[in-house]
Amino acid sequence: MNLQRITAYAYKEWREIARDRLFFSLAFVVPPLLMLLFGVGLSLDVEHIPFVVIDQDHSQYSRDYAARYSSGPYFNLLGQLDHPDRLDTLMASGTVRAALIIPAGFGARLAAGKPTEVQTLIDGTFPSRALTTKGYLDAINAQANLDGLAKLLAQRSGLTEDAARQRLTPVKLAVRYRYNEAVLSLWSIVPKLLMVILMISPPFLTSIGVVREKESGAIFNLYASNLSRGEYLLGKLAPYVAISFLNAWVLWLMALWVFGVPFRGSLAFFALASGVYVLCTTGIGLLVSIATRSQVAAMIVTAIVTVVPAVLYSGVLIPVPSLGPTGQLIAHALPAMYYTEIAVGCFLKGSGMADLWPQLLVLAGYAAALFTAGFLLMSKRPKV
Amino acid sequence: MTEGGKQPVVEARGFRKRYGAQRAVDGLDLTIHAGEIFGLIGPDGAGKSSFMKAVAGVLQFDGGSLSVFGTAIDSDAAAESIKDRIGLMPQGLGQNLYPDLSIEENVDFFARLRLVPQAEAEARKERLFAITRLGKFRARPMKQLSGGMKQKLGLVCTLIHAPLLIVLDEPTTGVDPVSRRDFWAILAELLQETGATALVSTAYLDEASRFDRVLLLHEGRALAAGEPSSLSAAQSGTVLTLHDLQSDEALQLARQFGYLEPRGRDWRLFLAGLNAEAAQAAITTLLGRTVQTRASEPELEDAFIALVGAPPAAPPVVVAQAHGAEPVIEARHLTRRFGDFVAVDDANFRVLPGEVFGLLGANGAGKTTAIKMLNGILPPSSGEGWVAGADMKRAGRAIKARIGYMSQAFSLYTDLTAIENIQLYASIYGLSRQQARERARWIVDMAGLAGFEDALAASLPMGLRQRLALGCALVHSPRVLFLDEPTSGVDPLGRRRFWDILFRLAREEGVAVLVTTHYMSEAERCDKLALMFAGRVVAEGTPASLKQALAARRGKLLALEVEAPRQALVQLQSAGVDASLHGRRLHCFVADPAAEAPRLCQLLASAGLAARALGELPASMEDVFVALMTELEAT
Repeated sequence: MNLQRITAYAYKEWREIARDRLFFSLAFVVPPLLMLLFGVGLSLDVEHIPFVVIDQDHSQYSRDYAARYSSGPYFNLLGQLDHPDRLDTLMASGTVRAALIIPAGFGARLAAGKPTEVQTLIDGTFPSRALTTKGYLDAINAQANLDGLAKLLAQRSGLTEDAARQRLTPVKLAVRYRYNEAVLSLWSIVPKLLMVILMISPPFLTSIGVVREKESGAIFNLYASNLSRGEYLLGKLAPYVAISFLNAWVLWLMALWVFGVPFRGSLAFFALASGVYVLCTTGIGLLVSIATRSQVAAMIVTAIVTVVPAVLYSGVLIPVPSLGPTGQLIAHALPAMYYTEIAVGCFLKGSGMADLWPQLLVLAGYAAALFTAGFLLMSKRPKV
Repeated sequence: MTEGGKQPVVEARGFRKRYGAQRAVDGLDLTIHAGEIFGLIGPDGAGKSSFMKAVAGVLQFDGGSLSVFGTAIDSDAAAESIKDRIGLMPQGLGQNLYPDLSIEENVDFFARLRLVPQAEAEARKERLFAITRLGKFRARPMKQLSGGMKQKLGLVCTLIHAPLLIVLDEPTTGVDPVSRRDFWAILAELLQETGATALVSTAYLDEASRFDRVLLLHEGRALAAGEPSSLSAAQSGTVLTLHDLQSDEALQLARQFGYLEPRGRDWRLFLAGLNAEAAQAAITTLLGRTVQTRASEPELEDAFIALVGAPPAAPPVVVAQAHGAEPVIEARHLTRRFGDFVAVDDANFRVLPGEVFGLLGANGAGKTTAIKMLNGILPPSSGEGWVAGADMKRAGRAIKARIGYMSQAFSLYTDLTAIENIQLYASIYGLSRQQARERARWIVDMAGLAGFEDALAASLPMGLRQRLALGCALVHSPRVLFLDEPTSGVDPLGRRRFWDILFRLAREEGVAVLVTTHYMSEAERCDKLALMFAGRVVAEGTPASLKQALAARRGKLLALEVEAPRQALVQLQSAGVDASLHGRRLHCFVADPAAEAPRLCQLLASAGLAARALGELPASMEDVFVALMTELEAT
């Protein structure tokens, strides 16, 4: 190992990155941009659902019932329709995602103590959103029934309405969410975004950086000189690892300042784990670059081997335990899941080395394996 | 150069390299001695790069033995042990350099990579900058350099650690003749200074005289090896340039001698095994009259073709026909600016139907831009381009049906077969099925593609791929054909066939052909030439008239053979002689070669330099080109 050769290569590489506009943006602009786009766009909270009421009853009962839906943050009442004819167009265009049709005679039947139905239409194109919407509707309807029952009980028994309501619901669930107290999806997603972006950006930088030397012929400067494979890996990849590590901090600051996510764990441990993770993903880029010969191929392969596991098998969208057995196996075989656990643990659960050392160990093993493979597969005297 | 018993720098015995089923080098034996410049000459795909990479220790090979500095290169470790003594400049102009780094940063990087002590690196860098004249551009990013400058920077970076063996893979491909001549002079000077050995490859046969010894490589095998003069001399014979032939006489000659090369309105004929008198006598006997001829020595290209043992091609039955005197390509004050940069500056030229017109110039002189304007791809900033009777600025799509265009990159779809490529172009140009079938048959016949119809374009040999690309450009029977460096990297036989087709198109069908090339031997073939410099057309005329203008301006060429060419050059130049180094010979422009020869020999003898006058040399297009360019660059 010769330090001068390593620094010569690293310095050269750094200058190229800093001067090439495309490369520079790939290194420094794309990661924060992805964070912003994903963070703002990927919120899974379902609120302010656009909603209409078709009141065919026009009674005090129906008005009171409908008003319950528009009072909270969940539904955004767009207005009343007199007739369900226009509803089809409104729902098809996405202007309206839920509708209540209160039938004529609604108030009269209730007053007579008879059951009645309210037809509810929900846009089912996104199942998770539809189910959440149905949950809201159920809850509001249940509350309406409870209130009606309480009123009746109060009239019959002479209790106050509040007391009557308590009698009707003797057991209540006292729920307290831990780690993400307000169950904000942003708090859950943003730490995982760090994982996704640091899974995608370093391999792209690395594979394109190495393969473009192969494509141009500059790789012959490695082959023809006494620069060893180890020196090349250090000199060539050090700038990419350093940039990616810096990006980890930029993303961390964005998580705190832009998205307001709390960081409760050990910063030192998180820094260490992020460093190891970035090393690991850079190693993925290195292997891609050894297997490919053109920049286009490198980009496609990188996209496939990073984006798919980072999004599907890491716990971003679907918790790993909810994946099928094959999915779980894949998730455990890839590094993304382990860093997800570290990121979520450090941000929300206040964890550190004591809880997360096994995950860190797996990542370190992964990085070591990738670089060893890269070193062994590289040849300064190839066959073609 | 060889000293008895001294260890050779490179020694190969039965060297073999294959890529899959394809044999790149098939049993090569060669020995390179210390201090010599050894040239590997051959077309693309001959196996030059594979061998050179193996010598530099950057490519594994499959069989035979190879030793460099006495070390057998049989393992990665063995290859590694010699790399500090080797400098490799891989193929592709400046491709191993870093575009975003400046000249100086590139050189510094290579110096640090090679662990050159700083003081030594600085001193060597300044010396190399001085010789290559790159010093004043040291802060310029590499991506902004011209082809010639990139090539020189590549050389500086290769030499910064003072290697004992330098391996230069096609350092002059795609570079104009002036930069090429400059490059060889610099290389010779540097090698003389350092005493290093060089292994150099080139696809230009006329560069052979730059080397001490050469090996002609063709399809992975050595055709011949030795000193360059001995190679062409080994092929005894005479080249005759004939004027004023009737077309039936041309036909007769072609039948008798196998091949007759049209050169503008003249003809060039190589007669193997005959000296000048015998050759002229043979012509007179055959034609029954005395034809005006000029005899010259055969060139390496003649030897190459003879050695390849080319089957005598069907004689080009080129019968010149009258095709009208109205120009079909005309540039009138054609100008194109890119910001402050004037790429084409008030260019004027005209091409008649049936004429082969050559556009010459260094890289970046504006040739491609001019062609793009005439094609209607790029609108001119001012001036007009008229093609086939239409103003290209206003011409609609219809006019493009009358134009054929073939770019340097042979715009073929490599994953389609030959016939599929033709069909694709036919449908792009809207030919009917019947027309497309007829045209495809014509192209297969014209391009000699029979038997290759269903081969993927990617798998075709260079020469065939090039003729297929030409065929695709001709699928709609255009009246005007634009060719932008169509023959780069194609072997001499392939180029010869290509030009025969061009002449047939021009002479028989009246197609106007505008072609750009870096091969000066191809420039000689054109009816008319225009030379571009910095966007301007600086000379126009037939090859003969351009040569006459050169003689009037600078004088005639006298060739001298000298023992120490570099010292002799300095000696002559300080005496005010217009001399240039040409391999191991000196070319001097003098008013009267016969009278001046003794005087110059005397001059050199008095300085202790043995010299022999070789007599007057016919000026080549390269001489014309280099002379013009250097005059213009000086102003």
